[in-house]
Amino acid sequence: MSENKTDRRNFLKILGIGGAAVAAGYVMPKDILTSKSKGIAEAGTSEGKQSHEVLPGQLDDYYGFWSGGQSGEVRVLGIPSMRQIKSIPVFNMDVASGWGITNESKALLKGRFCGDTHHVHGSYTDRTYDGKYLFVNDKLNNRVARIRIDYLETDKILDVPNIQGIHGLFTQRFPKTEWVVCNGEFQVPVPNRAAADQKDYYGIHTIIDAEKMEIVCQVMMDGNLDLAATDYNGKYSFATSYNTEKGVTISEMLAADYDALYVFNWDRIKKALNDKHYKVIEGIKVIDATKGKSGIVLEIPVAKNPHGVNVSPDGKYAICSGKVSPTCTVVEIARLDDAFNGKIKPKDCVVANPFIGLGPLHTTFDGRGNAITSVFIDSTNVKWNIAKAIEAEKLGEEAKKKNPHIVDVLDVNYQVGHIEATMAETKEADGRWLVSLNKFSKDRFLNVGPLKNECEQLVDLSGEKLRLVHDSATYIEPHDCIMVKKSIIEPKVKDRFNMFENPLAVTESGVVRKGKKVTVKLTANAPVFGLQKVDLKKGDEVTVIVTNNDEIADLAHGFALSNYNINFVVAPFQTKSVTFKADKPGVYWAYCTNFCHALHLEMRMRFIIT
Amino acid sequence: MKKIIILFLIIAILVPSIAISGSYSMFEHRYEYKPNDVLNADNFKEKTKYLEGYKNGKLVGFVILSKDWASKHVGYSGKHMETLIGIDTSGKITGVKILFHSEPIMLIGLDEKRYNAFINQYIGRDVAKNLSIGKEITMDAITGATVTAVVQNAIISESSKRLAYVTGLIKTDKAANKRTIKDESIALTWDELKSIGAVKNIKVTNKELGLTDEGNFVDLNFGLLTPRGIGENIVGKEGYIEASPQKNDGYSAIFITSNGSGTFKGSGYVRGGIFDRISLEQNGVVFQFTDRDYKILSDIKAVGAGKIKEGGVFIIRSKDFDPTLPFKFKLTATYRQGSVKKFESFFADYMLPDKFLK
Repeated sequence: MSENKTDRRNFLKILGIGGAAVAAGYVMPKDILTSKSKGIAEAGTSEGKQSHEVLPGQLDDYYGFWSGGQSGEVRVLGIPSMRQIKSIPVFNMDVASGWGITNESKALLKGRFCGDTHHVHGSYTDRTYDGKYLFVNDKLNNRVARIRIDYLETDKILDVPNIQGIHGLFTQRFPKTEWVVCNGEFQVPVPNRAAADQKDYYGIHTIIDAEKMEIVCQVMMDGNLDLAATDYNGKYSFATSYNTEKGVTISEMLAADYDALYVFNWDRIKKALNDKHYKVIEGIKVIDATKGKSGIVLEIPVAKNPHGVNVSPDGKYAICSGKVSPTCTVVEIARLDDAFNGKIKPKDCVVANPFIGLGPLHTTFDGRGNAITSVFIDSTNVKWNIAKAIEAEKLGEEAKKKNPHIVDVLDVNYQVGHIEATMAETKEADGRWLVSLNKFSKDRFLNVGPLKNECEQLVDLSGEKLRLVHDSATYIEPHDCIMVKKSIIEPKVKDRFNMFENPLAVTESGVVRKGKKVTVKLTANAPVFGLQKVDLKKGDEVTVIVTNNDEIADLAHGFALSNYNINFVVAPFQTKSVTFKADKPGVYWAYCTNFCHALHLEMRMRFIIT
Repeated sequence: MKKIIILFLIIAILVPSIAISGSYSMFEHRYEYKPNDVLNADNFKEKTKYLEGYKNGKLVGFVILSKDWASKHVGYSGKHMETLIGIDTSGKITGVKILFHSEPIMLIGLDEKRYNAFINQYIGRDVAKNLSIGKEITMDAITGATVTAVVQNAIISESSKRLAYVTGLIKTDKAANKRTIKDESIALTWDELKSIGAVKNIKVTNKELGLTDEGNFVDLNFGLLTPRGIGENIVGKEGYIEASPQKNDGYSAIFITSNGSGTFKGSGYVRGGIFDRISLEQNGVVFQFTDRDYKILSDIKAVGAGKIKEGGVFIIRSKDFDPTLPFKFKLTATYRQGSVKKFESFFADYMLPDKFLK
């Protein structure tokens, strides 16, 4: 499949279509589609008529990684079936798997079980996903978490100081993900103190070392920093700012007619770090880029209160979606260096301001020169051609009024937030499926009371017209997603843990007592735990370590201790531990909670506390 | 109406030019006014809920404030858009001015000048005739703000028609005597309901709208549910109990179903709570529906009805509506030609068949 993709890309290049045709213009969307149809046929689908049905026993084509919003989790879906395959607890407590119960998860969560995940992005090598990690923000408690793709479990959680409302998050795309950036949407005093004067509040762009999960540095701005993106050459990161006014009320935040797209120059950031042009605040190197004085950040004016910023898969354009303005702002990335060097003005990087609709929020791409923008107030997905928008801008107002760039408008149900196409944030954008993450379901599902699910809609993106094919009910409240072809992820995902990666792994059961501290080591092999009985004394501090010694894929065991509020699940070769105080004398049965065997119900043992 | 006079006096005495200024906040726009803004007269006489305008001692027209006549119509913001309307003695609108609104699209999305361009279309229109969006009135200026436009239309047309009845510019049709509905079950098939006029139809093909798609844009059926003889056939015995006047404070209900590529529900009601594509009109009063009046309807029980793509049961929550009198059903078809949003109105008259009346 990837070979076909390459062929098509080169083919388009020869035709001068692959986005390089900006100057030539006159690239009809139809032409692009015609030249593409060959590729789609090779991919085993038919243009505009793809089937989203995945029959029993068949597998999906894409992994979807969904943020879970204020549920604090990340979810894994199969695309195109939209079946939810897994939920990965991240910042939340999950009593089913024991996240927030076990010692290992408690060490990461540090007692905080509320989280607000918005943006999940994968690690990259050479401008496409490498299947190693996922990263996700926590807007609520200002953390960034990493998920290992091999186990699809949370691996690290990093607290980020000096920042509030961590919203946009994006990963470096080239040459590989060494840095992850995240944005502070709420301006606060740095370091935080009880300052009432908003002049002392700042927005913070944070750079994180992806492997070490440590903060490299922070860049301090006057404006707030909303959504984030990186370029395709490892040179820049981007942030939209809707509150350049430093407002603290809605009216103040809406005051200016223009806000900004901030572009962060990575070479200059590295130089500032080398030259020690920073202050250490809360242990973090903070570079002062306020009042536009550092030369590190370019401030490109964009129409009032923009929202998303997304980079086209050819790496050429950063597109800001207008939110309050009914337009998108197209920024040509090749011009940024000249603007940084003062050869052109920041506003000269803007090559088009196409009309989209009322309330454009986010933009995604089909890899065939088209952008698809979510429009909240109109409740539509708008497909538009980037080259045509740029061409119309050159031809002037009259040409623009005819909206030649708009290819199709699809009504969605209802009020879309994020929008994402398959592989759209990589050089391999394939334009097959589009998901519209709608914020209201209203009457699309059986009524489940005043608090209703969201309605996420699957759209066939392979034809010229957008074709709605499926409504999917989603528990509150995903924000964003990425969809990654399975050939990247599937080979990396394991069926069992590497048992000895965890130094606590138990292969032989037993009890070790040191004064009041008791360690109970348990193997779990269907249908028995390694011990039938454990004797404890009231007041003992007990640590139970359980390793699932069963090798068979999907044979998971649970460990639950009656009346002690303890439950967790161990997957094949996984080890988890829990510590509790034996404060209630009596006989307490521990039992397996995850169905494992015909004698699952007999898989239990006594804790006798005297 | 006293307020107008007082304001007028103060403004006239102080600085006349202040009338064009206004008070703004991010969420509310309020404008000052004087009756002359909408009617060219040199003297105004106060009547109940309206002003008479005189020029050289001769009655030349009337000025009304919409909140005195149609305050139940509220926009996307949940607030009434207060409108000053002038009407001359021949029933033509002489001026319209927005005095207060809080419509979010106008405050942060569209230029307010477009709002004024929209309402200026009403000037010179005859209030006795239809003032329908998609026919006499276009939404070109504010195509994205359909909820605002549709509610504003209801405010202007209902206020001015009601005034026209009161002042005798339009003669009321008092011939129809008040009748009552029979509370009686009658088994009728879908075809029978249609043939006796209990169910009415509006059909619009895509071709008629200049669209290339084959088939219907809408094939819409509607009817009163209030008579048991209709309601039980459409929504079943259990459904009828839910839609009956007994269950709904005496209010009547209609059902609407549709097939075709278009939608009569749209999405305006999702955030704004108002259905911006359908309304009823009876004796100049416009009845609109909010999501509180609506329950989804996904199939019709009557034999031979066939499948439907979308449907709803709507409670007509107003004492002004009389189900035994004729009314008009209005559909504002909303569609796109290429990227351009367009609107066209379609009407159907409805009168409950004698069969269901005592």
